[in-house]
Amino acid sequence: MPLIGALPQPITSAPLVILLYVVLTLMIVSALTSVLVRDTLWAIGAFSSSMVLIAVLYLTIAPFLLFAVQLLVFTTVSAALLIGLLRRTTGLGRSTQGPLRRDWIVGAAVVAALLALLVVVLATTSWPIGLIGNAGPGVGETLGTKYVVGLAVLVVILASAALGSGLMLAAPTLPSLRGGGPIRGSGPRR
Amino acid sequence: MNVGLNQLLVASAALFAVGAFALVARRSAIVMLLGTQFMFAAGAIAFVAFGTFGLGTRTLGAGAAVALFAGATAVAELAVGLTMAALIYREHRSFAVDADRE
Repeated sequence: MPLIGALPQPITSAPLVILLYVVLTLMIVSALTSVLVRDTLWAIGAFSSSMVLIAVLYLTIAPFLLFAVQLLVFTTVSAALLIGLLRRTTGLGRSTQGPLRRDWIVGAAVVAALLALLVVVLATTSWPIGLIGNAGPGVGETLGTKYVVGLAVLVVILASAALGSGLMLAAPTLPSLRGGGPIRGSGPRR
Repeated sequence: MNVGLNQLLVASAALFAVGAFALVARRSAIVMLLGTQFMFAAGAIAFVAFGTFGLGTRTLGAGAAVALFAGATAVAELAVGLTMAALIYREHRSFAVDADRE
């Protein structure tokens, strides 16, 4: 008799396997894009798309709660924080790239292909319901019973981060010893 | 062809490598923070993969719970990091973390 029991079988349904490979590939590609691209706004867009793809991955292999939190909380809050930073600093600025440039067309084609694949997977499999079975307590129950202390610590961390961010932004800027400062002119540096 | 623990761990490692590359090779504070987010996400994916396909299947919610903790911690880190990036920009009119050396 094995000590730990048999491990669950990998996913073998062909449409789902293709979808997962496409999602994983696009996730890596968009992450690489967000790291390599020079325009910060484009980097944030690529970052958000990779976060959405991670949420789609979670929809397949994790409880639904994790998908919802990843999509609605983590992705939205991260993107909002990044956009907010840009608005406070460099400004968002209108993109110099028109809607019919090749990059936009390629991106739209990839999104359309992914949506078509999603439709095929939805039509041919039971995804996203019932894929991972019900092997134990749900994540909500686990959080509420086993990880109560961790949850409390997490709340403290989030509150501290919010408070610290607010205080740092609200604090007055002291003049720099190196001659820098918030109202430094654009002339040549000495 | 299938998707199991091995494939997800490879994808997680690739995502972690992208994040590490951003952290090491780029000078922009924003891109470095994006790199740390990818590294957090890679760790979360690995936890979920082990919780779904690996030895953690007896407690399916455990991997997802750890992923939730990792994601929330990543958001908190992003908030503080972006505030520091805003302060760097206020001082140097640039997001470059080594703006002092120029």
